[in-house]
Amino acid sequence: MSCTHDNIYRPAIAILDEVRDEIKEVRTFFWHFDDPANEKVFRAFMPGQFAMVSIFGAGEIAISLPPSPTEDRLFFTTRKVGSVTAAMHDLKPGDRFAVRGPYGNGFPMRQYEGRNLIIVAGGIGLIPLRSVIIYALHHRAKYEKIQVFYGSRTPKDLMYLENLRQWQADNGFECYLTVDKAEGDWKDNVGVVGSLFKKPGVQMPVEGTTVFVCGPPIMFRFVLADLQKMGFQDQNMVSTLERYMKCGVGKCGHCCIGVAYVCTDGPVFTLEQIRKLGEVI
Amino acid sequence: MRGRLIHTGDLGKIIDYLRRDYRVVAPFEGRGRDSYFDEVTDMNRDAVAIHVANPYYPPKRYVLPHIQRILTISAGQNPAIEPCAQTEKVAVFGIRSCDVEGIFHLDRFYLGNTYRDSYYEQLRNNLFIVNVACTDIERDIDEHCFCVCADAGPAAKAHFDLQFLDLHDESGDFLAVAGTPAGEELLAQPFFRKATMEHVARRRSILNEVRKHFRISTSWYSAATRFITHGEIQDSTWKKIGDRCLECGGCSYVCPTCTCFTVADRPTGPDTFERVRVWDACALSGFTRMAGGHNPRKAVHDRRNRRFFRKLSHYFIQREFTMACVGCGRCVRVCHGDIGMPEVVEILRRETVAQEQA
Repeated sequence: MSCTHDNIYRPAIAILDEVRDEIKEVRTFFWHFDDPANEKVFRAFMPGQFAMVSIFGAGEIAISLPPSPTEDRLFFTTRKVGSVTAAMHDLKPGDRFAVRGPYGNGFPMRQYEGRNLIIVAGGIGLIPLRSVIIYALHHRAKYEKIQVFYGSRTPKDLMYLENLRQWQADNGFECYLTVDKAEGDWKDNVGVVGSLFKKPGVQMPVEGTTVFVCGPPIMFRFVLADLQKMGFQDQNMVSTLERYMKCGVGKCGHCCIGVAYVCTDGPVFTLEQIRKLGEVI
Repeated sequence: MRGRLIHTGDLGKIIDYLRRDYRVVAPFEGRGRDSYFDEVTDMNRDAVAIHVANPYYPPKRYVLPHIQRILTISAGQNPAIEPCAQTEKVAVFGIRSCDVEGIFHLDRFYLGNTYRDSYYEQLRNNLFIVNVACTDIERDIDEHCFCVCADAGPAAKAHFDLQFLDLHDESGDFLAVAGTPAGEELLAQPFFRKATMEHVARRRSILNEVRKHFRISTSWYSAATRFITHGEIQDSTWKKIGDRCLECGGCSYVCPTCTCFTVADRPTGPDTFERVRVWDACALSGFTRMAGGHNPRKAVHDRRNRRFFRKLSHYFIQREFTMACVGCGRCVRVCHGDIGMPEVVEILRRETVAQEQA
C-alpha cells in the first residue's frame, strides 16, 4: 500500500508509462500504480501535496504533485538536479519505481471557495501550482475571479506549453505570460513576473483574494514586495516550502523549521506562518 | 508501591530468568571510568556491573539501532519491496533512570504523533526494561550528571518494567518495584522476599541523600525554555554558542532522546538493495542541504540553534510530554567545545538577562 499505517516507509510499485521533455533538464513522467487498489487510495490527494518517490538503487526523494486529482493521469515533473532525479531521468517507459503518499497538508482549496484566486509562478514553480489551476478550473463555478501570472527566463523555459496555450485561449479566466528575455517570435510581455501586475487592463482584486506564489527565491522576494505594496495581506498569500526530506511523515527531522515539520505541517504555509517560523525562506 | 526485596547475590538469577526469553544486555566495566552495554553470555554473566558509570553510548540503540535495515528492495522487471521484521527481544538490565526517561520520550515521538513508526514499535514492544536507580555517589553519578534538574532521576518514577534500588545496608538487599504487569510477574518469582514500610522509607532517605551529591543542581531550564519559546534570544548569543561547535555531531550520537535519522539504499547484489536508516545529527552541515546545493541552515550557529530549540521549546515539550533532555550529561562529557546542555542553558540565561538589563 502506498500510505498504510502499519508500515509508513514501505512504498508501492509504480510503472512508468511515458516520458515527456518539458524544458531543458526538466521532464514529465506519466505513471500508474502496479496495483489498482493503491491508485485508488493515492488519488485522494489535494493540490499542494507531495509524494515520496524511490528510484531503485538511487534512493528516495520528495516530489510535488503537479496533476490535479480531477485529471485522469498521474505524473511527476522533475528537474535533473541531484543523484535521484538524475537516475529518474534515465528511466524508460515500462521501467518500475516506487511511490508512497500522498503527504503534506496541501492547499485548502475548499476553504478558498467563493474567493478570487491569483496564481503567481516563476520557472519550475509552476509545477506545484499547475495542480491548483487545473483543480480550480474544474470547479470553476466555486471560485470568483481566477488570474494566472507566469514568467520564465526565455520562451524556451515555459513549462506545460500545451496547458498554457489552452489557458490563454480560455475565456473563463485570465492567464498572463512573461519572459525575462525575448527570443524567436515572442510577442508577449518581456520583464519579470511583477511587471505583469502593472500591465494596462490587469485588475487584481485585493479584497477576498488568495494569492499563490511559487518560484525561485529571488522572484519570490520581489513578487512579495510588489504584492505587499498593492495591499495584499500576509495571511492571504500562500506558498509551498521545499526542504530536504528523508521520510515525509514527521520522523526523520530534516525538514523541521522552528516548530513546524514541512512534511506534515506543510508544505503549504501562509506567508504569515512562514514569517513566524523564524528560519529564512 | 509494592516493594519486594532481593539479595545482591540473587540479581544474577534475574538475568538468567530473562535470558530464557530475551537477549539480555547489561553494563560492564571498561578501562578507567569507561563502561559499555554488552550482551550477557555465560562467560561474562558474573562481570555485569550494577554500580557503574553510565556508558557513553546510550541504550537507545536497542529500540532505535544506529543502522537499521527497514526494507529489502529487489529491482528489475518484477520488483518487490519487503519490510524487514524487527523480531529481536531485548531486555536491558541495569539501565539508568535518565535513559528510561529517554526511551519514554522516544515512545512519544515515534508512536504518539500522526504516523506510528512500526519498526520502533516492534522493538519497543519486545523490550524489557530493568532499571537500577543511581544510589552510589562514587560510581553511579559523576560531576556531569544533572538528571535532578530534568526530573528524570536519580530513580525513574515510571516507564520501566522493573526497578532495583540498592538499600546500602549490611543485608546487601535491593528494593525492587514493578512498573508493568510483566514486571509484576517477575516479582512473583521465589528469589524475591517481602519488603516492609521501613524499606520503603529507607529508599526515600537514600534518594534524598543522593540528590545532595549532584554537582549541577540548577540547570535553568525554565528560563531557557521561556527565552527560546518567546524568541527572545539574540542572534549574537547563538553565534557565541555556534563558534564553539566543532560540528562533530557527537552530542546527537550520545543523546538518549535524539530522534533524527537519514535513509540510504545500499546494494546487496546486482539488482537488490537494502534500505537502511542511520542516525543523523543536526550539527552536520549536510543535514538540511538540498539537491542543487541550497542549504537553509548555512551558518554553524543556525544548526546549533536547532538542537537547543528542538530540545527546549515549549511546543515540543507539550507535544512529547517531556523535554527532550533527561540530564544524563553525556553531551557535556563528549563536547570538545564545552557546549553541553547545562552550559548552553546557562549561556542563554546569562546573555538574555544581561541584554534585558542593558
